[in-house]
Amino acid sequence: MSRHALPIVVFGGSALAPLVIRDGFLLDSLVLILLWGAASGAWNVAGGYAGQTSLGHSAFFGIGAYSTALIATRLNGSPWVALVIGAAVATLAGLIIGYLSNRLKGPYFGLATIAFSQVLLIVASRWRAFTAGSEGVPVPFRPGLWTLGFASKVTWVYIMLALALGIFAVQIYLERSRLGYRLAGVREDEDAAQALGIPSRRLKVLAIAVSAALTSACGTLWAQYVGFVDPFYVFSVDLSVRFALNTIIGGIGTAMGPFVGSILITSLETSLRATFSDMRGGLVGIYLIIYGCLLIIVVRFIPQGLVGWFGQRLRAGRRHARA
Amino acid sequence: MLELDAVTKRFGGLTAVRDVSLRAAPGEIVGIIGPNGAGKTTLFNVISGFYAPDEGRVVLDGHDVSRLPAHQICARGLCRTFQIVKPFGNLSVEDNVMIGALTRLPAVSAAREEARRVIALCRLEAFAASPARSLPIGLRKRLEVARALATRPRLLLLDEVMSGLNATELGEMIALIRALHAEGLGLIIIEHIMAAMMRLAQRIVVLHHGEKIAEGTPQSIAEDRRVVDAYLGEEFVLADA
Repeated sequence: MSRHALPIVVFGGSALAPLVIRDGFLLDSLVLILLWGAASGAWNVAGGYAGQTSLGHSAFFGIGAYSTALIATRLNGSPWVALVIGAAVATLAGLIIGYLSNRLKGPYFGLATIAFSQVLLIVASRWRAFTAGSEGVPVPFRPGLWTLGFASKVTWVYIMLALALGIFAVQIYLERSRLGYRLAGVREDEDAAQALGIPSRRLKVLAIAVSAALTSACGTLWAQYVGFVDPFYVFSVDLSVRFALNTIIGGIGTAMGPFVGSILITSLETSLRATFSDMRGGLVGIYLIIYGCLLIIVVRFIPQGLVGWFGQRLRAGRRHARA
Repeated sequence: MLELDAVTKRFGGLTAVRDVSLRAAPGEIVGIIGPNGAGKTTLFNVISGFYAPDEGRVVLDGHDVSRLPAHQICARGLCRTFQIVKPFGNLSVEDNVMIGALTRLPAVSAAREEARRVIALCRLEAFAASPARSLPIGLRKRLEVARALATRPRLLLLDEVMSGLNATELGEMIALIRALHAEGLGLIIIEHIMAAMMRLAQRIVVLHHGEKIAEGTPQSIAEDRRVVDAYLGEEFVLADA
């Protein structure tokens, strides 16, 4: 099994699945798996490759989601325009947060990013004249490609697949390019990186800005897909944690990690929700408990994540076979 | 050519380096010795751009670089190693060195080639694919030097790269430094191992409580009364005699 096998199985499988799957629930799960995988991949650009473990990436996701909701409702504009504007605003936000938190490390950086996303939550939920406040904004359904309105979930599978492949490509670039190697140096030891001629502060800000723009694009497409933007969801810490957890469970700093994590977590969540939704009471949230347990197991026993762990098993197996 | 012009660095009320001036001509090996806490590493941090001096100037090839950040000083051809080694632990030895080479060679393939050349020069070939964190301390020190060399410096600052090495490793490190010097590289070396210092340095600067108390040839330093009192001790003089 070569190292190309995993992406071929995951993305090839996603491309072929709609040909055989007709079930709406399963197609919806696939759309969400690809979307959350893509958003986690966007997080990985800063959190994994550059070592900037943000816990506030919902800020950028929310910017992308609000961008299309507001441009559609106020200006009757296209989501494609919103995609570009959202990404531009998120880049600017990423530059600001990256610049302000440049000297913060580890948990302090994480806390600063949480604070940033909560500031945006307060703005979005209180500034009624601009955002419609805490009740949220419905995204109007307007059929067509220019307005990104599709009744068929199959179309959405391919849109999210394109998004996922784009973000996968960005990650692959970071594994092979000068920029990627230099970011790895910054992540491993910032002092040593600076001594070797790497402008570490500038590269960290760049990584956060690119990550922010990609996350915003995910937010825009998500809003078009679900059709409603709730500030308490899109700017939530839960969402930020989801991006980080998918990536950590799948394999931080690996291009396939976020997608493997998303396959596991998203399918678990959707199936548990479906199973427990008939029941009354608090069982709807049980996936959170399973989520937490999984995280503990992964961090304790396979800190390199599933992709890294399988990679090691494979190499060990090959060595064994040769010997 | 590096010139320090009356450099002072304070941390709060503590003056770590006071009014130190020194020069390093192109291709020269200058040694810096002194007891622990004398300000040797602080001086390196000032020269390499990790600290800005509170007073005085650092001049590299005629340009005042006192306020430049570390990465720009490296770009101007001055690179340093760290006393407490700082390998990129999860990356392979080859990738460690290649990240240094990428500063001069933007193409990854060219940088990788350069990394292999430097790794061979530093005799790390057998460990090229190993993660840097798996290396024992002696090899980590050598990796520290290899990584800095890959940035193609004209002046290299070595902070105790010989301490903690066994006799064989020490001999190899001295041979490597001599070979680099023969190719025209200038070096400033902080070291506690006086035997190595006496063999390598053309000129030795002695720091004590942040001040320069002596400067001269290795022989004159070994005989300097203040240096013997402050640092070397009577045994050194007797053993040397």
